Amino acid sequence: MPTKRAAVADVHAPSVALPLQFILTGIAALLAASVWLVVRPIILAGYHYSPEVLAATHLFVLGWICSVIMGAMYQLVPVALETRLHSQRLARWHFALHVTGFIGMVVMFHREDMKQVGHFGSLVAIGVGLFVHNLARTLARIPRWNVVAAGIASSLCWLSLSILAGLYLAAAKCWSFSQFAPLAQLHAHAHLGGLGFFVMMIVSVSFKLVPMFTLGEVQSVRRAGWSLALLNAGLAGAFVTVLLSSPWKIIFALVVAAGLAFYGLEIISILRARKRSRLDWGVKYFLTALVLLAPVLVLGVVLAWPGLPANELTLQLETTYGFLALAGVVTFAILGMLYKVVPFLVWYASYSKAIGQSKIPALADLYSHPLQAAGYWLFLGGLLTASAASALGHDSCVRAGCVALLASFVVFAVNIGMVLSHLVRPRIEPLIAHSALQTNTRPLP
Amino acid sequence: MIDEASIREALHQVVDPEIDCNIVDLGLVYGIAISDAKVTVTMTLTTPGCPMHESIAWGVRCAVLNLEGVEDVEVNVVWDPPWTTDLMTSYGRERTGVL
Repeated sequence: MPTKRAAVADVHAPSVALPLQFILTGIAALLAASVWLVVRPIILAGYHYSPEVLAATHLFVLGWICSVIMGAMYQLVPVALETRLHSQRLARWHFALHVTGFIGMVVMFHREDMKQVGHFGSLVAIGVGLFVHNLARTLARIPRWNVVAAGIASSLCWLSLSILAGLYLAAAKCWSFSQFAPLAQLHAHAHLGGLGFFVMMIVSVSFKLVPMFTLGEVQSVRRAGWSLALLNAGLAGAFVTVLLSSPWKIIFALVVAAGLAFYGLEIISILRARKRSRLDWGVKYFLTALVLLAPVLVLGVVLAWPGLPANELTLQLETTYGFLALAGVVTFAILGMLYKVVPFLVWYASYSKAIGQSKIPALADLYSHPLQAAGYWLFLGGLLTASAASALGHDSCVRAGCVALLASFVVFAVNIGMVLSHLVRPRIEPLIAHSALQTNTRPLP
Repeated sequence: MIDEASIREALHQVVDPEIDCNIVDLGLVYGIAISDAKVTVTMTLTTPGCPMHESIAWGVRCAVLNLEGVEDVEVNVVWDPPWTTDLMTSYGRERTGVL
């Protein structure tokens, strides 16, 4: 470390501990939910409106997906939008409320105690309130609004509505005041969270992250803007029509499809114009998730078709639709981004002060690439097996698929463990002269 | 005596950890100005909002401060002109697989 005048330009520096808390909680919930599915494959092979399915789904959605997305957003939003997080203290309170709330909700769903679900759900809701407030205040001071910021703001609105809809559902179960069909309410709530928060967030941040990791740029801001506008309009209409069990929901399903088609075209354009030919596994995970949007979309349109009979197959397809969306699209995308976010957090904590003074690993040196590849194929195999088996209501094949998924998540956890080991034992070596480096270094594989 | 060549050589040790290539071969260094014992490095990053912004700027400062005769370093990160891959050296392109 030089003794002469030097200071880190600490403009948007992230707090490493905060996002890591959320992310590690999320990974623990992912492993727990996967084990649950292996032990009880009926969750996917049977009808989805049951206490056990609701409990497992909330473990997956709140414990895994929300924890990781929220943790990553505390890290990424200030950095990507070139500003500073409004309050880390509020974020720490959010973490405590979130963890207490979602664990309590899962247990109470399983016990069919809707009153307590409402109580613990209120803790989650207060936490989400702090999260939304914190990020809204952060967004309020960004230097310039763009399509990424607009998408993030939209997703925060949908998240808030989703949480309110969830509380309404719990209250309606306790006091039976709602005029809406229970299953319709559940589906409307699920779409607010799944499409409004998760997919909207993935779409928004990908306009920043895909160009960043492939050395490309957004090709048409107008097209990106249209994709967000159509997604928002489609979801608003879908929410109302799903809630009312209206046949008009097909119209809004098609509007959502149009939005995602614009999005897909933009991502393809970005990739075609990219400067970096090699795509690393993290980006491959993420892009595979985007490809999986297509079958989810087709299923969504089919299930929204007017007059579709409610038979055993269509009811199972509803389960498959939700599973493919949450475990396929959202989880695959998150795993890909975690291969970027976690190494960055660890590298920042362990090596950022040694840059330029010592030989330090690059982000890609912190984890195993063969394990990444193994995890990818295990995940894809497990996902397709479990999805097909779920549609057919085949218990044993669901279990087989979920075993592969669990294996994939264990591989992921091991790889993340390798990354985290750099927090304990940083690998810092003396510098090698640049001329020697050029002579001895081959291009990266 | 400080000279630009030795500063560039020192900056080769500052590696963008995401891309795994040093900032000189990436073409991120736009200019170096030397005034007595003070060095001003004008540079950019591959993308605005790059998460490595502070780390790389810090690395530049440290790498140059380590040179004999340098007492002060100023790092200006600018976005105009924007970085393009045309600024990369052939070594940088080969190492990062840029088309």
